[in-house]
Amino acid sequence: MTDTGAGTAPPVGDGQDGALLSARNVSKIFGGLVAVEDVTFEIPERSIVSIIGPNGAGKTTFFNMLTGLYKPSYGSISFAGRNITGRRPDRIMKDGMARTFQNIRLFGTMSAVENVMVGQHSRMGAGLFGSILRVPRVGREERAVTEKAHEVLSYVGIREEHHDTLSVNLSYGEQRRLEIARALASDPKLLLLDEPTAGMNPQESAELTDFMHKVRDERGLTILLIEHDMQVVMGVSERITVLDHGLKIAEGTPEQVRENPRVIEAYLGKQGAAEAEAGAAKRAQPGQPGQGSDGET
Amino acid sequence: MEASTEAARVPVRTNTWDRVRKYIGDYGLIALLLVMPVVYGIQDISDDGSLARLGNNFVDGLSNGAIWALVALGYTLVYGIIELINFAHGEVFMIGSLVSAGFFGTIGLTTATGTGGLVLGLLLTLVLAMLASGSLNVMIERVAYRPLRSAPKLAPLITAVGFSFILQNVGVLWIGGSPEGIPDLINAQKELFSIGGVSVSQGDVLAIAATIPLVFLLVGFISQSRLGKAMRATAQDPEAARLMGINVDTTISATFLLGGLMAGAAGLIYALYQTTIWFFQGFQAGLIAFTAAVMGGIGNLWGAVLGGFIIGIIQQISDNRIGGEWTPAIVFAYLVLIMVFRPQGLLGEETREAG
Amino acid sequence: MMAVAVEQRPEGKLKTDPRTLAALAVALVVTLWMASEIEMSIFMAIVLWAIIAVRTIFHENELVNRLTVVAFVVWAIALPFFHDEGAGFIEDATLALAYAVMALGLNIIVGFAGLLDLGYVAFYALGALTAGWFMSGFFVNAGGGEGVSLFVGEPASTLPGIHFNFLIVLIIAVCVTTIAGMLIGLPTLRLRGDYIAIVTLAFGEIVGRIVINGDQIIIGGEKLTNGRQGITPIDKIDLPFLEPFKSLDLRPWYFVALGLVVLVLFVNYRLRDSRLGRAWIALREDEVAAASMGVPLVKTKLLAYGTGAAFGGLSGVFLGSYLNTVNADQFQFSFSIFVLAMVILGGLGSIEGVMLGAVVLTFINFNFIPDVFNDYPSKIGLDFDLTELSFGIFGFLLVIMMVLRPEGLIPERRRKLELKEGIGVGDTELGTTETMFEAKA
Repeated sequence: MTDTGAGTAPPVGDGQDGALLSARNVSKIFGGLVAVEDVTFEIPERSIVSIIGPNGAGKTTFFNMLTGLYKPSYGSISFAGRNITGRRPDRIMKDGMARTFQNIRLFGTMSAVENVMVGQHSRMGAGLFGSILRVPRVGREERAVTEKAHEVLSYVGIREEHHDTLSVNLSYGEQRRLEIARALASDPKLLLLDEPTAGMNPQESAELTDFMHKVRDERGLTILLIEHDMQVVMGVSERITVLDHGLKIAEGTPEQVRENPRVIEAYLGKQGAAEAEAGAAKRAQPGQPGQGSDGET
Repeated sequence: MEASTEAARVPVRTNTWDRVRKYIGDYGLIALLLVMPVVYGIQDISDDGSLARLGNNFVDGLSNGAIWALVALGYTLVYGIIELINFAHGEVFMIGSLVSAGFFGTIGLTTATGTGGLVLGLLLTLVLAMLASGSLNVMIERVAYRPLRSAPKLAPLITAVGFSFILQNVGVLWIGGSPEGIPDLINAQKELFSIGGVSVSQGDVLAIAATIPLVFLLVGFISQSRLGKAMRATAQDPEAARLMGINVDTTISATFLLGGLMAGAAGLIYALYQTTIWFFQGFQAGLIAFTAAVMGGIGNLWGAVLGGFIIGIIQQISDNRIGGEWTPAIVFAYLVLIMVFRPQGLLGEETREAG
Repeated sequence: MMAVAVEQRPEGKLKTDPRTLAALAVALVVTLWMASEIEMSIFMAIVLWAIIAVRTIFHENELVNRLTVVAFVVWAIALPFFHDEGAGFIEDATLALAYAVMALGLNIIVGFAGLLDLGYVAFYALGALTAGWFMSGFFVNAGGGEGVSLFVGEPASTLPGIHFNFLIVLIIAVCVTTIAGMLIGLPTLRLRGDYIAIVTLAFGEIVGRIVINGDQIIIGGEKLTNGRQGITPIDKIDLPFLEPFKSLDLRPWYFVALGLVVLVLFVNYRLRDSRLGRAWIALREDEVAAASMGVPLVKTKLLAYGTGAAFGGLSGVFLGSYLNTVNADQFQFSFSIFVLAMVILGGLGSIEGVMLGAVVLTFINFNFIPDVFNDYPSKIGLDFDLTELSFGIFGFLLVIMMVLRPEGLIPERRRKLELKEGIGVGDTELGTTETMFEAKA
């Protein structure tokens, strides 16, 4: 039984509220290399959407354009109704887009709490003089922000004893959670997760999948995911977009994408695609125990 | 499903400040470089009726510039391969001068020495100075930079500055704190010939004649030899180079050696041309040569040479027209402007990131 | 909670292991020896040692920590009274305090925000120049030759030139240097680490040159600076309700310097544990991640430069008056390195460390090498003047520090990790192409 909600794709494009994020004809060219070519992409509100593709497909480059780290060579991106093409990352973040990184980029010599507090930078108002003088407003703000940091850390499942540990001393799993906590701290509308399950075992990945649902349902977030772990992708995504060599080659529900021959070819090559097809035909025969249906955990 | 709309591919607009910067970067720097020559050229024509004074500025500038070019090559080689500014490089140059001057005395080169003896003596000195500076540079790399390769960029920079101070102190102990005159072995100021009022002295000819072959040798070596290829490979991607079997450590040492050799040669030429040596000459030369390297495009060998000549000319014009006490400020102002508007320099960078 | 900690005090909370005790014993001997060499009151030296010893032994105890801080402040205030009015020791101590202000300023730029500034001397110069302009007879034509004065007593108010009150000049200097800091920082915003070093160095040299050659620059009929001769004399500090300071009684100077240090420490501590302080450290660790978390890079960097520069201005004014002269010899590149060395020796980003570094280096440079160590070579039969080597020794110190203990004497708790394990290294090596953030991700 598909408990995870996979298999029911919300409408692509204009949902009831319109797309939260909309990228049109976005391309990125580095010198002679076309990393992303003419990709159009939308994320409906409150959905969980994934981008997948073989290595080098341009997923992270695309991500980086959404968050403002790269400026698109062509195309436009709008978020929550505003054009954010080429805007600075801190501005985009302020508008409500937060992200994690493929290679963990925590502020290593700050504690977990402090990392999360930095995540709230854009939601705070303390300036230079206010901080020096510690006016009551700033004092209150610091306390509120600290409290919230603790709360978010607990929310992602980091034990209280570890809240004040230097982030570089946390376990790998905790560091991944910390990255998410840091992103969540600013109450974003859109959460971008760049390969959040890298290095995780299946149980941890399952926990993360549940967490994504929880976060989306409880906090009304929209989530965009880059992932390699197919179980997670199939299990959590309402819609999947597939990139290969910078181009969008498929988009749809997990089942649609999984059966899409172009996608299979992109991942496995022509030979592998043929083998996969043969295998699929074999599986379709009755009497095969334990196969289940979609990659649910 | 995947067909995107046929909307026109509109390039993303850059903001105004970026466009201004790019425009200035492309043309402004050239314009800035031309400002002084043009302005003073016009002034010359109205004052003297000829461009002779400016021409002399150019000739002297090119000779000085040759020296800076050699030193700049050292900076650019090292930066290209390990992305580090060798702060002590100026002092390596200074030691080259001091070694040269010291050697003159040792082998008894004086103004009275005959031409044959002079040429031989100078060649010997050249070899010695180059070796001294070269090995000094290699030693600095081993002691100051190699242990700190994984440390943040601050650490080797500080050790380099530390070494720079140590070497300056060596200079003070060696020849004292004030500039010291040395025998004018090649009669540097004697005019060799003159064209249209522009006087070319023996020193000028020496400087250029000594530098050009060295530059060609260096460039040739780097493009043709195995070591040169190893250097370029390491500069592009040290990890890949390592995987290809290149001994990265040795290659880096060799790079420092080459840079030091150039600086040593520059030291000798400087000593002959200026007939004065000073423990502090390295600090000033270092910043000037670094400006030259950046102006030409850090990591780019021809850029260093070009930058050296250009800075030499600017320096000369400034010394001659505005006053030597202002020249450092002007050169550094150019450095800042380059960094702001065209950090990749005139000929473009060739370092890991740009590659 | 503190009361509970004091009551419980389990054995492990006290650091009374043999190693620590031995170290403290050695420290006592060294302290006594040093105190006698630098002409410090032996009694005060012992008291200082005692404070440090208590703090070391009770190192986890919150209450003791706070008490020792108070004790330290009291000690610092009492210090001049255990020495003669014009004691050489107090002279050096005042200098150390003034340099500490600058080191703390540079600490914000390099230590907190991670921006490698090799031209800090420019801010010192501007601060001192402000004193030269507004606290001396330099502008002879001001007020039609009669002099312009503001809140100063006799005799300064009667002399030609501009004579503003020290406190007013402080404020002017802070404004000037803050703006200068931001202007100097502006070109560096998109540059890599070592390029920032070079550009700031270049600015330091440019400012230095302007000071030397400022007598050629005429603005409004007045020279900008007095060129090689420098501007002298500079008014003595004249605080409200007090007599103007004299050059023979060093105590008031010491207290003003101490006051500046306290002020600057206060600002430092407040900022470090604030939104801005966290932003600076995030910036230092990983610029790209910081920006992605909402930290506005340009604004944050400029604030670092401006704040750090302001401290230089404060100290510059003080030193201008204290040393009674403002001349270009004071503003050389080696000074920038001197201050940077204090920060590194103490521990980048570590407020206490930087203070210690400033004190240590000031005494080494102005006391130990010229006076104390100078005897040593002859004692072992060598014939040279150690001051001639001071440059080289200093350079040697820099090299040793970076190779052996890059995290400094009192590491910022974080820094030890950063330098030893290479965290935050290389992540911020961004190129200078189209946008700031074209990282090769």
